[in-house]
Amino acid sequence: MKELKNFFKGFKKGMGDFGQGITSIVNSALLLIVYLMGVGFTSIFAKLFHKHFLDRKLSTKDKTYWADLSLKKKSIEKYYRQF
Amino acid sequence: MSVYILGIACYYHDSSAALLKDGILVAAAQEERFTRKKHDTSFPINAINYCLKSQGISIKDVKYAGFYEKPFLKFERVLFQHLEMFPKSLKTFISSIPSWINEKLRVVRATKKKLNYKGDVLFIEHHLAHAASAFLVSPFEESAILTVDGVGEWTTTAYGLGKGKDIELMKELKFPYSIGLLYSTITAYLGFSVNNSEYKVMGLSAYGNMDKETNPYYKKLRDIVDIKDDGSFRFDMGYFIYHYANRMPSKKLCRLLQGPITKDGSEMTQRHKDIAAALQLVTEEILTSMLNHVHKATKCDNIVLAGGVALNSVYNGKILRNTPFKKIWIQPDAGDGGTSVGAAFYIYNSILGNKRNYVLRDAYLGPEFSTSSVRSFLDKNKIKYSEFKDDEELLKNTSRLIFNNNVVGWFQGRMEWGPRALGARSILSNPCNPKMQEIINLKVKHREKFRPFAPVVCEDDALKYFDCDKPIPEPTDFMLMVYPIKKEWRSKIPAVTHVDGSGRLQTIRKDQNFLYYHLIKEFGKLSSIPILINTSFNIRGEPIVCTPLDAYKCMMGTGIDFLVMDKFLIKRDDNLQDMWNSEKYAKD
Repeated sequence: MKELKNFFKGFKKGMGDFGQGITSIVNSALLLIVYLMGVGFTSIFAKLFHKHFLDRKLSTKDKTYWADLSLKKKSIEKYYRQF
Repeated sequence: MSVYILGIACYYHDSSAALLKDGILVAAAQEERFTRKKHDTSFPINAINYCLKSQGISIKDVKYAGFYEKPFLKFERVLFQHLEMFPKSLKTFISSIPSWINEKLRVVRATKKKLNYKGDVLFIEHHLAHAASAFLVSPFEESAILTVDGVGEWTTTAYGLGKGKDIELMKELKFPYSIGLLYSTITAYLGFSVNNSEYKVMGLSAYGNMDKETNPYYKKLRDIVDIKDDGSFRFDMGYFIYHYANRMPSKKLCRLLQGPITKDGSEMTQRHKDIAAALQLVTEEILTSMLNHVHKATKCDNIVLAGGVALNSVYNGKILRNTPFKKIWIQPDAGDGGTSVGAAFYIYNSILGNKRNYVLRDAYLGPEFSTSSVRSFLDKNKIKYSEFKDDEELLKNTSRLIFNNNVVGWFQGRMEWGPRALGARSILSNPCNPKMQEIINLKVKHREKFRPFAPVVCEDDALKYFDCDKPIPEPTDFMLMVYPIKKEWRSKIPAVTHVDGSGRLQTIRKDQNFLYYHLIKEFGKLSSIPILINTSFNIRGEPIVCTPLDAYKCMMGTGIDFLVMDKFLIKRDDNLQDMWNSEKYAKD
């Protein structure tokens, strides 16, 4: 009886791990497609038009790297936004 | 009816919750203390439940919940990183996106579902939450504000001005340029864990060559950082890969620093120490220029700091000497954990327009355990203990134990807010014994030899032993300022004197913690030096203890000799040793 219980316990755990494994494989495959099709194409087009998403250049001309932020109190409705 | 505001920070590192009652901070805690996972990132359900329970309220009584960042803005930055760095970012895209989809973009849902909360959730920009966490609980009516951390949404550094209940952040530096990420990159290069061990690198720097002319790595690091006169800066990003990879140091950086990434647990050589010193020098150079500029821009003599970089206590101790600022304030949890406090205060004071009516004077905001609950815990677990008849006996006996070179666990009152143990969950010992550092390391902490232990001294005695700013800045109460120990005392308190003669001291005032203050004084009567070693009550790799069970387990699993918990004294040797090998659990 105890052995049977242990078997089912192990079986359940094994199935759980198997399920998780499958999920991560499927997720990775889907994310790979999203990355290649979505991120990849957008990135290639952006590069063709010299659009940069991160400013990665040093500047000897500029006297400062500080950028305007002007972050101050807004109406309460603005704080409901997540962006 | 009282107005309760809940602040929440989670899903990056150091999840936490804070609760305000009518603008007063009544409870705050980090989730790691409850889950026992260091730097826990999960939704702080335990910390929130503690906050609510401490006030005897339910989630229905909370008017607003504040979240410490704008998740969609942050996600935009993450997506832009991937777009810019395609195809190099594939690996991080696959590893990081699921957590965004499953939790980070579902904050409202998680808050409502996990807490059964039906009220409003407001989102405060990350650096604004940092700024609020420092300014709105500071003693200043008006102050310049500087926030410096790894990265928030886009901002990595910001400065502005706080006036009354209002805050304006005027300028920013954006990702990928970040002092926090530079520090983390070198931390990783030296074989330590990121977002955890930066303070070790800071401690290591004292062993290195702090002379800019002769430190061979200073020039190398300085050459890849372009610092303008106003302290704004950028890096040559060819040396960094943190904007697209999980691993922080690049091959090019390794070539620059003349060696591969150091393996975890490796012996620190002079080269490592010099690299740490060079990093500290560059960091200090940037921050000094920046603070000079902030003073010029704000024309204010007070400064409040927040963000993980504000935990650089070595630099904090130099600020008033190296910049025009006259007063400084840093709250005990200046890192991301502290933003839950900032989010809550920003809602109460700035958004709702309520007057400020609170100054954070001590860090005792966590759970506490009554005498009866501690007694019941001890009895239930058949733990042998004795009971002090009053405070006087407790102080006399405990100070005697410490004077006799015992290592004492000290568990009293409410747990501290922030990463430092400040006399509520501390390990205390005798700083006059030259071998004490070795003894504590051997018995309890098992930590790197180069890391010093911190001294605690009563505020009214501090100037006798330490070369502090005058008047002593309040952040010293939170162990956030390193100062030189006066030369004549260094050899008398060797266990807390760092290699460069400095000490990361904690000052304690009588009204903050009566027992702790008097314990130090009582020890002074025996040793003639009223200073103790104060180190956090935990083993390496674990969060600081929270409950009596955590404290007892920690003592029994290590070599702590005595535990003074509330009014009870527990001797380790009187009780059965648990089969609990602390070294086995020590991770970092």
